[in-house]
Amino acid sequence: MNLVVERVSKSFGGIRAVSDVSFTVPARSIFGLIGPNGAGKTTVFNLVTGVYAPDAGSLRFGDRDLARLSPSRIAAAGIARTFQNVRLFAQLTVVENLLVACEAHEGAGLFAALVRSRTQLAAEGTMRARAVELLRVFGMDAAAEAPATSLSYGDQRRLEIARAMMTAPKVLLLDEPAAGMNSGEADGLRTQIRWVRDTFNVAVVLVEHNMSVVMGVCEEVHVLDHGESIAQGTPAEIKASPKVIAAYLGEDEDDAREAPEARA
Amino acid sequence: MRRSIAWVGVAVAIGIAVTAGALDFGLDALVPDSSLRQLFMLACCNVVVALSLNVINGMAGQFSIGHAGFLALGAYSAAIVTSHAHEALGGGEPTFARSLLVMPLALVTAAVVAGAFGFLVGLPSLRLKGDYLAIVTLGFAEIVRLVIATAAIGGDVESPARAWGHVGEGGAVVRPFFHAVSVSLAQLGGQNGYAGVHDAGVPLYAGPFWIVGLAALAFAIAWRLKFSGWGRALRALREDEVAAAAVGVDPTRYKVTSFVISAMGGGIAGAMIATMRDGSPIVQPDSFGFAASFDAVTMVILGGSGSVTGAVLGGLFVTFTVKAIELAQRAPAVEALHARYASLDLNALRMMIYAAVLVTLMVRRPEGLFGEREAFRSRGAKT
Repeated sequence: MNLVVERVSKSFGGIRAVSDVSFTVPARSIFGLIGPNGAGKTTVFNLVTGVYAPDAGSLRFGDRDLARLSPSRIAAAGIARTFQNVRLFAQLTVVENLLVACEAHEGAGLFAALVRSRTQLAAEGTMRARAVELLRVFGMDAAAEAPATSLSYGDQRRLEIARAMMTAPKVLLLDEPAAGMNSGEADGLRTQIRWVRDTFNVAVVLVEHNMSVVMGVCEEVHVLDHGESIAQGTPAEIKASPKVIAAYLGEDEDDAREAPEARA
Repeated sequence: MRRSIAWVGVAVAIGIAVTAGALDFGLDALVPDSSLRQLFMLACCNVVVALSLNVINGMAGQFSIGHAGFLALGAYSAAIVTSHAHEALGGGEPTFARSLLVMPLALVTAAVVAGAFGFLVGLPSLRLKGDYLAIVTLGFAEIVRLVIATAAIGGDVESPARAWGHVGEGGAVVRPFFHAVSVSLAQLGGQNGYAGVHDAGVPLYAGPFWIVGLAALAFAIAWRLKFSGWGRALRALREDEVAAAAVGVDPTRYKVTSFVISAMGGGIAGAMIATMRDGSPIVQPDSFGFAASFDAVTMVILGGSGSVTGAVLGGLFVTFTVKAIELAQRAPAVEALHARYASLDLNALRMMIYAAVLVTLMVRRPEGLFGEREAFRSRGAKT
């Protein structure tokens, strides 16, 4: 299923955070969304995941209209995300952070919890086994019962990805996963992103400032500046686009507008 | 392994039921002093108060300071049901055998009425946070209390049935409707309190079997709620609503459900207080003022928000503080002082003790006695 963003706009007061943005994320692709600070990348994520409702335009996943769904419904529809500032459940343990993520669609519900039925115990067991397996894959199974906040910063970011994967998504949105990572960790992240895509058959949408990660892993890159789409193409095309270079290096805006259209 | 655990559970449940049943008949002999019996039973009621408020204030991380509203709804509902059921059964002594029929009726009514109002109060909780929600809950509790307390009583006693019969007569609906509502409310006795059918007093059906049994049941339910997937999702929601929604936890459903559960628990606790043996046969609106809500909040914060065992401890502590001050009030030295200074009232001391304890706690242990942890449960235990 493709994730389709079509002519979407969103304003906050007088500020147009996102203006007429369109792109399509094909199933099982690794798609980069880049742009200078304040370009509206995170706003696009918040629109896709239902945190904000778009002022105009449409957001579709397969044949489902996302614009009308609440964040929890969108998660259930198969779109999972991480956050720019790590948002773990601090008071919960590492494994509990994962278990919350499958409670909504695999949990046995309130009544079963009260009578502690056989099905509920079985469901809990399966969920826990899956969570521990996922932690092993991300190399954090030793810390399963530790509080989430006791993890290192890099591990907290990885735990957020693991938690998102626990919802069994079809699209994974990563908001600056390499932020605060050293170059060694960022290299590891590149391999992990590819590995996640290949193993779980998800499409990955990546918002990232670290260009070595973006250019090294993305198959298609979409560039935003001041809330507007300015370019889309393969990493090589993007690197060569004068408009993108202008946006990043802060060339005079008039010159940038005269630059040839780099949109694919 | 699982089989043996189930059997242990059943054995414990039967053990508690038998003990509570034995207490129902034996407590009078065991504890001859009726005021001590009352204290013991009241402590059990307060444990249910604390356990139910803990669902909202502790587990869900909302802040309600209007729990007395749910207690009042439960207390009045249960008092009305038991009084009428007692009348229908032909009056006389409230026996244990009859309580097996009357109490379930009263408890279900109390839980349903309080739960329905919990749903109504829970809805704004989706948009309001922190202080704002606290104000809504406080307002709700005061509305419940004042609507009951200010009902016009005395004068021409018109039967509610007749008043309701007039609604819609000759096309007039609104005025007769409000008249009928006020006539019905007057049946609750206004400021004087509700004392059953023909003011014969509310029959006190809830012996130790019910009071102790319900406290134990409330504990078991609270424990299972907390250590279930449902409780885990609720705690996640408390930690970070945006992140919880992003992994599929629907904030609306969980918040409203937790409000309803808490309100139902409050309703049950109110029903227990209203029908408690050795308790007062009159249900008065003043028992459910702000002080009662504040007591409930104190119980939860003291024990540690979110801790089930902490809530039990908080409930016991508050009950016994109240009793200790009452006893001190009657000490000869205090009585002598009271003779000289008529305005001396040690009940004011209670607020000072709470204040001192709470301030000390906030400074030394902001998370409460237990924090979110439980007594008798190791930290690494699986949840």
